[in-house]
Amino acid sequence: MFLETIPETSNYMIAGYAFAFVIMGIYVFSMYLRNANLKRDIETLESLQSEKSKRSSSSKKK
Amino acid sequence: MQPRPLALKILDFASVIVLGVATYLALVFAPTEAVMGQVQRVFYFHIGTAWVGLLGFILAAAAGIAYLVTKDMRWDRFEVAAVEVSTVFFFITIVLGSIWARPAWNTWWTWDPRLTTAAITELIYIAYFMLRQGIDDPEKRARFGAVYTLLGGVSAPITFMVIRLFRSIHPIVIGAANGTQEKMNMTSDMRVAFFFGLFAFTIIFIDMMWHRIRLGALEEKVEQLKLTVSM
Amino acid sequence: MANKSESKKQKAESLHPSFFKATLAIIQKDLSAEFRSFELISAMLVFSLLVIIIFNFALELDIKVRQSVTSGVLWTTFAFAGTLGLNRSMSVEKDRGCMDGLLLAPVDRSVIYFGKAISNLIFMLIVEGIVLPVYSVLYNVNLFRFDLLGVILLGSIGYAAVGTLLSTMSAQTRTREVLLPILLFPVAMPVLLASVKASNGLLAGAEFAEVLTPINLLIVYDVIFIAIAFMVFDFVVEE
Repeated sequence: MFLETIPETSNYMIAGYAFAFVIMGIYVFSMYLRNANLKRDIETLESLQSEKSKRSSSSKKK
Repeated sequence: MQPRPLALKILDFASVIVLGVATYLALVFAPTEAVMGQVQRVFYFHIGTAWVGLLGFILAAAAGIAYLVTKDMRWDRFEVAAVEVSTVFFFITIVLGSIWARPAWNTWWTWDPRLTTAAITELIYIAYFMLRQGIDDPEKRARFGAVYTLLGGVSAPITFMVIRLFRSIHPIVIGAANGTQEKMNMTSDMRVAFFFGLFAFTIIFIDMMWHRIRLGALEEKVEQLKLTVSM
Repeated sequence: MANKSESKKQKAESLHPSFFKATLAIIQKDLSAEFRSFELISAMLVFSLLVIIIFNFALELDIKVRQSVTSGVLWTTFAFAGTLGLNRSMSVEKDRGCMDGLLLAPVDRSVIYFGKAISNLIFMLIVEGIVLPVYSVLYNVNLFRFDLLGVILLGSIGYAAVGTLLSTMSAQTRTREVLLPILLFPVAMPVLLASVKASNGLLAGAEFAEVLTPINLLIVYDVIFIAIAFMVFDFVVEE
């Protein structure tokens, strides 16, 4: 290639960097979401568990 | 779950900083390449993500072996983290390469060994997650996952060698170039951006791995709690 | 294998049959079960012929196209038919509870692997042995050449070696049949590509030396994956 002028390819570059940042952002956000969901799950499960142990201690029948 | 340890907080901070610096070096500091123009700048992130994608792939296979030997669930969490994070980075690599290829080779995609192997590796990752999804028992899931990463880790290099028999137009970045393939000429400023990119993505990779491993620990805790509650 | 002079060892031998004998027993069991009903082979065979018919019209296999795509068509057919057979042969073991029986047998677990892999290979070879002459007749090409048959044998060995391991895994998952090709194809990619490359070269009239590289890669793949499967099979049948 013996071009005198540098080809104009800025659009591709912008698209590329925008894409890389969007994907990384989505991934980080997904981890944040999953983390929050799991923490909520743990809270619910722990409260269920304590309820259950209370019930089983108060009456022998289930 | 324990709060983030200090080291992880520092690593989070460092990741953001190095990502910013790497972006600056790639977009502003490095000179515009004469043949390709601006789009060549995509290459700094392309190489960085490709490197960590590959690193994750190797780490996953190694963690698979370690799991099979020790049967320690921590290796399983490490393996899942490595596979997941490198799936994300490999995906970025492939798309960035494709964006670069459009003006450079006048096509979005060619069946070049590196491109094809990257795509097949990505498919191995997806198959890995589908396999794990189909198994309920965590111990069995870990065993099968470890075996599959091991198989994938061995077959991907052979795939690469086989496809190389067909043809290649991908530039060789490091190492000797033969007659048919073009070699990239980098100025010293480009080298700075290039190597800093590698460094930056390594930091980011470690940071994401760490977070994903912690997430895995949390997942395990939920699974165990569900078991005790339902009993 | 065992020292015959020692009676103690001989007794142990009758309880723990030698590796070779035990493998042979599993193969025999699979083959005799199959030759009673021909369930698996007939399904693979009919499927292969249907695939070839579809290819015939999809690719318009006229004389020019045929030369360049014959090996591709054949290997695609073998790969698809192979997955069909692998799925069937493993889910039969699972459904009839044979797998548990095999696992209880006083033999090394790798015996089960080699037995299943070899019988899967035999099924594949039988189907290939029928598809090849049919294809030769239909398209008037001679596929019966020793070098080509060698490539097909090497490719089938690699495919059956990985396929048996992965089908043992997929049979124990929730999605089962659907999962096998998804697991198998990306990992077996080198086998399929190298086989296509080698057969293509041979069919185009290349010298044997020219296709030596893909054939070497096939051999390397076969050896490595048989070794890995041998080592990890224990882990995929553990309960």
